[in-house]
Amino acid sequence: MEGSFAALYIAYSIVWLGVFAYLAYMHFRQHSIDKDIRSLKGEVSKHVK
Amino acid sequence: MVKSHVWRVLFVASAVLILLTTYLAIFYAPLPQTSVKSAEKVLPDIGSIKIRVAGFVSSVFPLGPPQTVEASKLTEFSIADFSDYQRYLDAAANDRLGEQWWTVRPIDVAVRSGDTLSGGVDVGASIKDGTNLSVLAVVVAKAIGPNSNVTGYSLAVENGNDVTIGTSAGQFGIMTAPVAQKIFYFHMPSAWVSYMAFFVTLVASALYLKTRDVKYDRWASCSAELGVLFATIAIITGPVWAKQEWGVYWRWDDTKLVTTFILWLVYIGYLMLRASMTDTGTRARVGAVYGILGFVTVPMSLLSSRVAPLLQSSHPQVIASKSGSLSPEAGMTIGIAIIAFTLLFITMLIRRVEIAESEEELEELKRIVGGEN
Repeated sequence: MEGSFAALYIAYSIVWLGVFAYLAYMHFRQHSIDKDIRSLKGEVSKHVK
Repeated sequence: MVKSHVWRVLFVASAVLILLTTYLAIFYAPLPQTSVKSAEKVLPDIGSIKIRVAGFVSSVFPLGPPQTVEASKLTEFSIADFSDYQRYLDAAANDRLGEQWWTVRPIDVAVRSGDTLSGGVDVGASIKDGTNLSVLAVVVAKAIGPNSNVTGYSLAVENGNDVTIGTSAGQFGIMTAPVAQKIFYFHMPSAWVSYMAFFVTLVASALYLKTRDVKYDRWASCSAELGVLFATIAIITGPVWAKQEWGVYWRWDDTKLVTTFILWLVYIGYLMLRASMTDTGTRARVGAVYGILGFVTVPMSLLSSRVAPLLQSSHPQVIASKSGSLSPEAGMTIGIAIIAFTLLFITMLIRRVEIAESEEELEELKRIVGGEN
């Protein structure tokens, strides 16, 4: 029976880890893009001036 | 800005529902009532353990002379997983019993013919081929087969009251690992959401080809990415359950497993194909055609376990199935789980599309800056 509980917790951990890993990926991706956009917009405005 | 608030609210709602599902799955949803102890747990000390098994009687052997006096009172029969009954009959009719695998190999049970059930019926006379029954019996021997750790048991029933004849098909389900069944509350919604995601990809791809509006291409690719995420979760959690229930992680001769694996590969291919293309117009067009054609694998996976005996699968069917049944508590838990995962998918899709929009804005800015330089 203990083996079954271990399997249950492993399976639930896989679900939670999968979802959180993807949410973290989205968060860092957005963060990185925003940073790049800000930097490029700054460069563009320098050129305009 | 409004979208950001929407996805935050949706995210909190889906997170709360998933936490609620976790609580309900572990503490509220009941274990299946009829079950066999985990085979691996029974193995180390096989002697005098009582286990409950359920299934259909696949053959009956009344033991008579020249057996011993005690043995002559016995009726011996084999039972096998009830859900496999039709497949068993087909295999037996075609003399192919040895070529196929079985969820639970036939279990030999010995019962005294003189014993009577609560209705006063002789156990020996009541048990015929195909009888659906549940038996509480002592393990007296085990049989080890070539493909799994344990393929069968020999059991002895102590008295007639330990045998219950089923009154309807599928009254007793057979499960070797009842606790592991709770994986179902996350495995099935993950698979459901992946099917839904690939359906969104299909619709968005068709709309892109019709309108050539790039926003549909964005929705299609983001939805496919999420579909792969949830399909991966389903494909990993399934074998964790299978190891407990079947004794093996994977079966290449199970149509449900193989078609789902093909589905997963097809959409991995979709993402890889898109990633390999730099021209946005070509990428969108090719992606849309692939997104439409690739969807054929979804009904293949979804229906593969439901068209038996044409195809062979022992993957459980619980929803919208005659053989499957859920208690109200289990039904409520899976209902909340499906709502939670659907909400989570919508939340993540909205967020992913926002990120894709930002990525395109960044590409555009890079193009402008590059052009000016």
